[in-house]
Amino acid sequence: MDLKDRRQLALMLAPYLLGLVGLVAVPAVVTFGLALTEYDLIRSPRFVGLDNLRELAGDEVFHTALLNSAVFAAIAVPLRLGSALALALLLHRRFRGAGSARAAAVFPTVVPDVAYGLLWLWLLNPLYGPITLFLAWLGPPGKTIWGLSLPQFLTHPNDARAAVVLLSVFTIGEGFVLLLVARQSLPGELYELAAVEDATAWSVFRRVTLPLLAPILVLLVLRDTILSFQLNFVPALVVTEGGPPPYSTTYLPLFVYRTGFEYLRYGYASAATVLMFVLTAAAVWLQWLVLRRARLASF
Amino acid sequence: MSAVRLAGVSKDFDGVPAVRELDLDVADGELLVVLGPSGCGKSTVLRLMAGLEEATAGRILIGDRDVTKLSPGRRNVSMVFQSYALFPHLTAAENIGFGLVVREVRRAEVRERVAQAATVAGCAHLLERRPAQLSGGERQRIALARALVREPDVFLLDEPLSNLDAELRAQTRAELKLLHARVGATMLYVTHDQIEALTLGQRIAVLRDGELQQLGTPEQIWREPANRFVARFVGSPAMNLLASGAAVGLEAPAGAEVGIRSEHLALGEEGVEATVTLVEPIGSEALVHLRAAGTELVARVPAEAGHGVGDTVRLSSSREHAHLFDGETGERLPWT
Amino acid sequence: MVRGTFWRSLGAAAVIAVVGLPIVFLIAGSLRQPGLPPPVTPELIPDPVVFGNYERAADLVGLGRAALNSFIVAALAAPLSVLVASWAGFALVLIRARARTAILAASLLALMIPLTALLVPRFALYRSLGLVNTFVPLVAPALVATSPIYVLVFYVAFRRLPPELYDACRLEAASPFQIWRRVAMPLVRPVAVAIGLLAFVLSWGNFLDPLVYLHDRDLFTLPLALRSLAQLDPTNYPLLLAGAVIATAPIVAVFLVAQRYFLHEHRGAGWLGR
Repeated sequence: MDLKDRRQLALMLAPYLLGLVGLVAVPAVVTFGLALTEYDLIRSPRFVGLDNLRELAGDEVFHTALLNSAVFAAIAVPLRLGSALALALLLHRRFRGAGSARAAAVFPTVVPDVAYGLLWLWLLNPLYGPITLFLAWLGPPGKTIWGLSLPQFLTHPNDARAAVVLLSVFTIGEGFVLLLVARQSLPGELYELAAVEDATAWSVFRRVTLPLLAPILVLLVLRDTILSFQLNFVPALVVTEGGPPPYSTTYLPLFVYRTGFEYLRYGYASAATVLMFVLTAAAVWLQWLVLRRARLASF
Repeated sequence: MSAVRLAGVSKDFDGVPAVRELDLDVADGELLVVLGPSGCGKSTVLRLMAGLEEATAGRILIGDRDVTKLSPGRRNVSMVFQSYALFPHLTAAENIGFGLVVREVRRAEVRERVAQAATVAGCAHLLERRPAQLSGGERQRIALARALVREPDVFLLDEPLSNLDAELRAQTRAELKLLHARVGATMLYVTHDQIEALTLGQRIAVLRDGELQQLGTPEQIWREPANRFVARFVGSPAMNLLASGAAVGLEAPAGAEVGIRSEHLALGEEGVEATVTLVEPIGSEALVHLRAAGTELVARVPAEAGHGVGDTVRLSSSREHAHLFDGETGERLPWT
Repeated sequence: MVRGTFWRSLGAAAVIAVVGLPIVFLIAGSLRQPGLPPPVTPELIPDPVVFGNYERAADLVGLGRAALNSFIVAALAAPLSVLVASWAGFALVLIRARARTAILAASLLALMIPLTALLVPRFALYRSLGLVNTFVPLVAPALVATSPIYVLVFYVAFRRLPPELYDACRLEAASPFQIWRRVAMPLVRPVAVAIGLLAFVLSWGNFLDPLVYLHDRDLFTLPLALRSLAQLDPTNYPLLLAGAVIATAPIVAVFLVAQRYFLHEHRGAGWLGR
């Protein structure tokens, strides 16, 4: 490798490194700086020390957003990962319909977020929505099956939160593809051996598939936890608009967005972002410890 | 074409030595075989010459150029890889001409030289095919043509026959020898196969754990192995090594080991009494495993002799065919 | 084995139905006459079928112009992402181990940061450079290859090529750029195509960035135009659904091409060049 070659390699890396520094590293550092200021983009930032953090500590809306985000992550991450894994294990082989079903499993992920949100707004509409109509059709007038009351996705807080989770359960394309490829690359001999030993499907899953997929599953748990802080932004903004009032589906990303871009309090928004960073890191670290203790993480 | 010289070349991988202070001179136009078991550092020697690895110490010269610090592309060497390393997306012709194209040689000239090299390597009829459409032997020819096309100073061949089946290997081995005679280029040929080494090499360098054990003609390697390792590694079955001459009726000096090849053991009416423990027929000959004077030996005898397990035979040999090695160091000792 | 296949096919059919039905309802809803009273049961074919919603949706917020904008942005961002990701992934194979480890670690770290966390500082950055209300902030993420994960995917794909191929190239004095262009890229073409199409899809559907950076209606991309449609006439579902169909249809076409490259491993070479 001589000098000319090294220079070419550096050139090939340059755009990416520029992106990493300019679009990730610098903004991340700037966030920490802005968190200590009062900044409205018109006047220059004014240093206020830890005032923003003190204010956040007493901000009811922030508390609600924090709790909403935590509950969302706790429910959505296992659901998303579970369905991605189930789909990958269902569809990894070649058989009639497998190809179309794989495409179908990825499809919701590639639909533009806003169009996806509008579709759900329609599906869940209390008067016109096919889902509501279907549930109503199942039961007596005004009720659904077993005499349960019809869900009010847009006016009842818990139903609205459930709707946001429901939206996120279908957009699992990335995890599905990764698990599909991982499952396909497991050696077939292992499964033939298990079949010769007459192992039950459950024990094959428990003793062969799960341990072998563990490293990638761990990675996905961590990544999905982090992603859960961004993937409810569009549903919360477009479908439920942060409500039902006052803040039933206001999650951290929506809180940050509104604080910054609607109320023009960028410093305060940055402080909330920093807390979001810290909480994410803590959650990831905690999961890592638990998963390592459970001997799922082999790396 | 040029002579190649390695002077005190060493190579460590993360502190683990792969090649230790190797001195090697290859004459202009010579075909030198580097022979050794897997992991002995022979491929590393080749990669050092190619510049694919950087030497930890020592100097490498091609002709009178010091190429130690030169990048592989500037050393004017070419290499045939064990896996052939053909580019799967290019046709045979594009594979052969790759080095010329990236050096921006004119198209017409590339075409002409590719055709020439392909003719020499015997693959002119395969030029439009892709590697996936070629057999192992055909791929080998393309790889050879790619090495030939640049008319390099030195050819480096890394176990080029090991991926061929036995028949094709023997045939290609002979063709390679003819090719070397015709092109007259300096060639370094790495192999773990002693038959290839003995049939192809003008000289053989035997390597073990990164150290040169012996450098000599196939004749010398065979007749006067420099130490126990060379003696055992070259020849099949491996040379019998005995703690004393008692089992073969020879008197060796104290502290010396006696080595004797299986074909130099005679089974007959005279000599030391031995018991047959196993007979392995190999066509016209048979390998007869024996126990004599508390040691195990193998003799190669005509199959007609018809020995059976449990037979008692008498074993003899002659001093001129027996080798003496130092019991401690394993170095060759003269008969006194 | 036969029994297993039956249940699997049934499962596959269920997956297709769960994803397919909403699409059917989406299209059915977009063909409904606005202002009709709600049906009693879900309707698959509206009565009457009208196509006027598409025209109105397109006119009301300029979906045509928005589609063009979206296309310009995605057509710039996707190839640029492939270029950046494949260059970086390729260079990572050839550079020294220590630099490689550092860059890989930084990439994993970057992957762990939610995009929403970078919203405010990025906005401040672009604003100070006077780039707000241009397409630059929308195309710029291509510099991190849209997502660093694509760099990692390319790195893995290039690493899987036999090392002797790189050795052979070095012996022929091929420069890194020549190796990338003549050997490495042609050999991972399926990966490049898949990543290019995915980057196109992501850029096309991107809502957050246009929302923050674009104020001028003439620059609006499709998701943004769709959102303003929803704000303009929030209860006119047939109109909104028609808009959603317009925004989704091109992506369906791209996706149908793309999925062959990474979902059908038996078609020769698939995801990660296998």
